[in-house]
Amino acid sequence: MSLAGSEIRRAKLRFGLLTGAVALLVFLVLLLSTLSGALVGALIGALQGLRADGIVYADFARDNIAASRLDPGSAEAVAAVPGVAAASAVGTFTTAAQIEGASADVQIFGFVPGAPGAPSGLSSGRLPESPGEVAVDGAGQIGDTITLDPAGTELTIVGLLRGAQFNALPTLYTPLETYDEAAAATNPGLPFVPVNAVAFDVADGADAEAVAQAITDAVPGVKGYTLDTAVALIPGIESITQSFGILVGLTFVIGIVVIGFFFLILTVQKLKPFTLLRAIGTSTGRLAATVAIQITIVVLVASAIALALTLLAVQGLNTGIPVNLDPGLIGGTIVAVWIFSLIAGLLSIRRIARIDPASAVGAR
Amino acid sequence: MNDPVVDATSSTPDGPGPSPSQDAAGHPGALLRVENVSKVYGSGHTAVTALDDATMSVDQGEFVALLGPSGSGKTTLISIIGGLLSASSGSVHIGNVDVTTLGGKERTKFRAERVGFVFQSANLVPFLTARENLLYVATLVKTPKKAASQRADQLLEELGLAGRAKNLPEQLSGGERQRVAIGRALMNDPDLVLVDEPTAALDTALGRQVVQLLRREIKDRGKTGIMVTHDLRMVEYTDRVFEILDGHLTHVESPSALGH
Repeated sequence: MSLAGSEIRRAKLRFGLLTGAVALLVFLVLLLSTLSGALVGALIGALQGLRADGIVYADFARDNIAASRLDPGSAEAVAAVPGVAAASAVGTFTTAAQIEGASADVQIFGFVPGAPGAPSGLSSGRLPESPGEVAVDGAGQIGDTITLDPAGTELTIVGLLRGAQFNALPTLYTPLETYDEAAAATNPGLPFVPVNAVAFDVADGADAEAVAQAITDAVPGVKGYTLDTAVALIPGIESITQSFGILVGLTFVIGIVVIGFFFLILTVQKLKPFTLLRAIGTSTGRLAATVAIQITIVVLVASAIALALTLLAVQGLNTGIPVNLDPGLIGGTIVAVWIFSLIAGLLSIRRIARIDPASAVGAR
Repeated sequence: MNDPVVDATSSTPDGPGPSPSQDAAGHPGALLRVENVSKVYGSGHTAVTALDDATMSVDQGEFVALLGPSGSGKTTLISIIGGLLSASSGSVHIGNVDVTTLGGKERTKFRAERVGFVFQSANLVPFLTARENLLYVATLVKTPKKAASQRADQLLEELGLAGRAKNLPEQLSGGERQRVAIGRALMNDPDLVLVDEPTAALDTALGRQVVQLLRREIKDRGKTGIMVTHDLRMVEYTDRVFEILDGHLTHVESPSALGH
């Protein structure tokens, strides 16, 4: 006979309220984690998902791809550095565009198909291969046409991407040739269209960090980074991720402490029957297992409710950025809530271990 | 539902017990042998002797009373006998097991297997039905489910609680709760049943019914029972009487004189 299950069946209101409270706490943690992840992803997803081992900016750019300007020939200079397997130019700028009849700001990236610097996160369709094709994150559907303003360049959507936005704007990825045309039309009078960066892959067995340093040393006027370093150095991103980390972390810790207190209160309320159970021969281990089973049941049911609430919230909220549920994040959060709830439940279990069975007959 | 399952007006025990003149400690083959047991709480100037050199023995099938005023040490004594409390000195043998030498886990197991308790309070698990309260203790000794169910149903039937099996303790009267507690105490077929003030929360008539029922169940099953009480009216249902005053245990040779 399961004491844990029997008690839950007989105290539906008490456990229902507890489960509801835990569900709201887990929902808060899940929603904050999802939204902060989505916002950070929308700000820097393009660089995080760049298919390359490293990236090169102009040395004056202060680690900022938007501020970087390189001669298109830089890609060849980078490719010539020992340890570099392939290198190709990447360009980006912000412009206005007509999407489904509405005007919107977009971030456009130009890359060389099949070379370092292509985007990742393709959810449907394919990556562009020919001039005039574009893959998008956050703008239109496959087959739609996007017109860039004021260049008038027309792009046909051939693929949809996820987690590939930059600066929290709808982001377009087009072949470098089309990018150059659009950039030239947007900036008439330029002698040549500069690129912003050079993406590179390292040769098999080469260390990306060492190769990045070698590029910095060998090519004048540039600075090489591994992709992770480049992402971490994006201006402001560290403080943004730290702030969100603190926010989510604090919510998580407070949630866990509150859940722990809930179970401690529940245990203290049951000291009399627990004392009786100890007196008639129930081991401390069995009572501790009862509490652990109840914590597990409450956390699992609460997590399922919280997940449903998060799904509804993500679908219902209009945040202006693509918000997708990350199964890893959700699974990790739920497992963490469960484990830390059990740890918090140790307070209850310690209290149970201190029960003196003799007090059932008032012999102390 | 009415409590009565036995004649409340009867004052005659089920049968005569051993002569009151039997020596308190003189039963080498007794089921329970308490020898020179003392219990001291605290130490130095603050030491309090709750039990002082107590010696007694009880045969299998006997139902004895342990009398004494509040704070006299009677609860301490049954707690030590039942393995709930350790003695400061002396030994307690139940069968061939010296309870005072058992470790914490062994005592927990011993209580589940060999001792049945009926407490005056903290009586039943509130979130288990009457039947589940009985079935739960069977899980402590890993009794097969079917056998446990049969025994629980049989005990509830005998105790007049067949119709209350699915009721929670809060839905039962005080007398019914005590009867469920008696059933639970007998569920694991223990050698010894320890009963602490079973009539404390009951009126006189109900108290008599419960104690009569307790005696009948203990006698019918050949168990050994010790009932702590300060209610002299319940003494007539027991075979022998022990009295504790200020921690000193004595065998009462003439229980009939106690009322005076």
